[in-house]
Amino acid sequence: MAAILILAIIGLPWLGAVCVWLVGDQRPRTQHYLAAGFSIAAGLAALVLLLFVSAETVIRIPAGNFFGDLTFVPDGLGAFLAAVATIVGCLAVIFSIDYMRGEEQLGRYYSFILFFIGAMAGLVLTSSLLFLFVFWEITALTSYALISFYNDDPKAVAGGIKALIITQVGGVGMLAGALAAYANTGSYEIGIFLEKAHTLPAATLSVIAFGFLIAAAAKSAQTPFHTWLPDAMEAPTPVSALIHAATMVNAGVYVLARFYPAFEDVPGWRTAVILVGSISALLAALMALVANDLKRVLAYSTISQLGYMVYAIGVGGVFASQFHLLSHSVFKALLFLAAGAVIHSVGTRDMRQMGGLGKDMPFTRSVFIIGGLALAGLPILNGFWSKELVLEAGLVDGPVWAFGLMVFVAGLTAFYTYRMTSMVFGGSSPAERHIHDAGQAMKASLGLLAIGTLTTWLLAGPFGQMLSTSLPAHQLHAVGTWVVVEEVVTAPATLLALGVIALGLAAWQWRKHLAGLGRLLGGFGQLATDGFGFESLNRGIVNATLKAADTIRPLQTGLLNWNVVGILGGLVVVLAWLAWSTGIGR
Amino acid sequence: MTIPFYWLTVLPLITSPIIYLAGRIRLIKQFRNHVNSKINNLPYWISLLVLLACWIPFFSAYQQLKISSPLIFSLGEISLRFDGLSLLLVAVSLGLSTLVTLFSGPYLRGEVGEEKYYAMLTAMTGVMAALGCAGDLFNLWVWFEAMAVTSYLLVVFYREEPASLEAGIKYVVQSATGSVMILLGIALVLAQTGTTDIAALAGKLDQTPQLLLAGALFVIGFGVKTALVPLHTWLPDAHTQAPSGISAMLSGVVIEAGLVAMLRSLGALTGLNGDGIPIAIWGPILMTFGIFNMLVGNLMALRQTLVKRLLAFSSLSHMGYMIIGIGIAMYAHEAAGAEGSMFHLLNHGLMKGLAFLAVGTLMYALGEASSHIPKTEGIAQPVAQPHAPLAIRDLNGASQRYPWMAFALSIAVLGLGGLPPLAGFMSKWQIFVAGFSTHNLWIMLLVVFAALNSVLSLGYYAPLVNALYRKQPSQAVLAGGPIPHMMTVPLVLMGLLVILLGFWPSLVGWLTGPAGGALLKVFGG
Repeated sequence: MAAILILAIIGLPWLGAVCVWLVGDQRPRTQHYLAAGFSIAAGLAALVLLLFVSAETVIRIPAGNFFGDLTFVPDGLGAFLAAVATIVGCLAVIFSIDYMRGEEQLGRYYSFILFFIGAMAGLVLTSSLLFLFVFWEITALTSYALISFYNDDPKAVAGGIKALIITQVGGVGMLAGALAAYANTGSYEIGIFLEKAHTLPAATLSVIAFGFLIAAAAKSAQTPFHTWLPDAMEAPTPVSALIHAATMVNAGVYVLARFYPAFEDVPGWRTAVILVGSISALLAALMALVANDLKRVLAYSTISQLGYMVYAIGVGGVFASQFHLLSHSVFKALLFLAAGAVIHSVGTRDMRQMGGLGKDMPFTRSVFIIGGLALAGLPILNGFWSKELVLEAGLVDGPVWAFGLMVFVAGLTAFYTYRMTSMVFGGSSPAERHIHDAGQAMKASLGLLAIGTLTTWLLAGPFGQMLSTSLPAHQLHAVGTWVVVEEVVTAPATLLALGVIALGLAAWQWRKHLAGLGRLLGGFGQLATDGFGFESLNRGIVNATLKAADTIRPLQTGLLNWNVVGILGGLVVVLAWLAWSTGIGR
Repeated sequence: MTIPFYWLTVLPLITSPIIYLAGRIRLIKQFRNHVNSKINNLPYWISLLVLLACWIPFFSAYQQLKISSPLIFSLGEISLRFDGLSLLLVAVSLGLSTLVTLFSGPYLRGEVGEEKYYAMLTAMTGVMAALGCAGDLFNLWVWFEAMAVTSYLLVVFYREEPASLEAGIKYVVQSATGSVMILLGIALVLAQTGTTDIAALAGKLDQTPQLLLAGALFVIGFGVKTALVPLHTWLPDAHTQAPSGISAMLSGVVIEAGLVAMLRSLGALTGLNGDGIPIAIWGPILMTFGIFNMLVGNLMALRQTLVKRLLAFSSLSHMGYMIIGIGIAMYAHEAAGAEGSMFHLLNHGLMKGLAFLAVGTLMYALGEASSHIPKTEGIAQPVAQPHAPLAIRDLNGASQRYPWMAFALSIAVLGLGGLPPLAGFMSKWQIFVAGFSTHNLWIMLLVVFAALNSVLSLGYYAPLVNALYRKQPSQAVLAGGPIPHMMTVPLVLMGLLVILLGFWPSLVGWLTGPAGGALLKVFGG
């Protein structure tokens, strides 16, 4: 049964992708409904799969010499993330029915979204290192294709290629890690690798552990690879919600969680993970403070929240990180889609040109505020519980400086969330304009996600149970939802964090009185606007590569004489090499 | 029923002059009787038929190889030894030339000298089959030269164009330079050992300076055709100026045939050290060439504005992957390296063939409107020019009018860039597996470097794809003509294979496995 479900979860969206493409762009209505139908079916299959969670390999397809077997295991981590991918996926597709109405090239749009959904499910369900990498790269391919969906816009093209190149550079880390694991264990199976990890040579295990960390950081847009995510906001908004907030960017966190038992004892690895997570959380929150593009603010907040998850893994809180991942997927998809509804009706992403939208879009405002409160970490929304769990894990097992930093970032989060919400919905409308609230399909998606934001924390108990029974290597201890609630409510970290969050909210409320402080930090704001120099680092690398290319161009002289000189030169070099390596003539 | 494998060579070589004569006779008739030439495209049909017929001895040879390997055919002193490596080379060359011929029907219709094109293409296919199984060094050289001669004529097919003649001259002179070196190398071997029989030589030689010199001459001599950097300078011009079908052949199989010839010749020189272990001196040299091929190919391609030139430079980098895999196989006797590089040879033929044919189709369709032809207002354009250079910006929005072509070209270049789930990824992965299996730090770093080069290559493949999918079509696309179905068929076939192999690499295990095994055997593994 589980095998059929897994095939359905991956196969249905892919089949849908082919169908939508074959239907052709002349029949947009059919394309909308086909895409919705296939994605909903995949979502249902993923929900049913949650009932069949196990640590058994249910599918094994031999892929030939040197490629191992294509295997799938529906364990808790995989089944849960597959459910997130397909359900947020189908909500994003439903939302697109309104959002993309009247757009051209819908076939390409839906095909890639469906292709992505299937690949994301495959990525989390496979237990083969090779196919983990294959699915990993497919998600990068679809992400690139969708970011540059508007190919006529040079910014969209640049954003797509940037995302592709940066995640691929990181992917080389995973490639090296997976190859090293295969070369040393003779198998691509993750289970076997986790078992044998401690028998590998220390240096090899370090290479694998840090290789995977690089890949995860690039995929989850963590420092220093985070620069692609804000530029990825050129994608249509449902894509941003699905790929760049709720699913693909989680893949990095997923990989860290999946391999945590193998890497936790690698010297320096946990510290590196904590550093990556906390620095990303801080820098992104600071950048969110000063950004004026609604989607970029959300992108920065995604980086920041992913930083929390990475940090949680660094301190050993695998459950907390995955629980925050669940909360974040739901509330951030909600925020992005609500932002999409706003952008769709206002026609701009600049928050300075918004304001006063609350009156015109009451429904959107309500759900946006729900999402915002969850992002800020206020009770009793899902973001509150999971963020407190992360902080608690940090206080118990992590270094104090990192904990302090993360609590501070919680305050920053509250501040920029409040700023964003009030800039978009508060105040008065700047000019005469025709605003319509979200359409029916949009409202359906937003409503479901808002309900999720209010309720997914109730799943803490069953979720923990599912993870602990199907991931023996992780040695997780399951507790009931109410135990989690009690733990969070009584933890000292909670009170501290709530205090800081309140401070953050108050700071925006009374920002006029803090003007002096604001001026003091003005230079810092400029630094944050410039992305703390990481953007210029990117540009530097690209320019250096292009310059290298220009430098060697004269080598292709087009002159036959020089070409023959090249041949003779090659001969001389080979002869010199031979003389040197064999010792002849010495 | 078993059919001897030599029919793979004999059949095309016998029919090649017939194809030519058929075309000439038609021309004479046309001249006398003013017969409409459109009904009668005899050279095309004969060559297509012959190439299809060659698949019968191919599968027969495959069946026989399963029982015993290699298959041997001797004619006096000359012997042909057909093994897994030969089978793979035939599969790629025969497959590609069948598809290219199919494609060329509409592409070349009405061109002057059509009959020479089909005659030469068919002959080249037969010659390459022999090249893959030549049993002694001198014969190897003869077949290698025969291949070169057929390809010269195909490169300068557009004989009225100065650019194509220039490319032809460079190709001839540089190949000849290489060829002289090969002959010198063979002479050295003969002088030292008294034989040129590869099987008799292999694994029995000491490393004398003369033999090392011969080996160096083989590496460089065959390396010209294989387009090792810095011997590659003929390639960008030749690939760009040849008709697109020939670009596909050159890039997809001719330079690889050069590689096979080099490997056969080096195999003859592989000696054993005191412990009976083959001396792996050529492995590191090939790996080093691989580094330069990848880097120079990618960096040069990064700055190209002409599509075919970009693809030509990317051939350099793909040759880099193949020789790295082979280098690893020679150095550490990793089966994955031998099999992976043979798999990459096949995939590259498929993907690069697809890319060149798709570009050719687009050139055919956009020919009249290409922005590079100066247009004079009010004067009717004399003829379509399907062989004018095509710039990347001419392809803007091509998907709007030619969705299948745009899709085929996208699959081809993304596959070349090594993105899964496309064929190119799987073969690169196999080569990388070999690298890590050596547990040698330098080779592992080389693999990481190769992987980073794949990422770099996306820096020029991805913008090409983006251009294809723009909404605002270029002038060229707006003015483009229709595409005949006959040109679409080979592209769809190749595109499907590129996707299929990405999901299911073992589909061609029956070819790459024995080829890898044969390659290892060549180097005493």
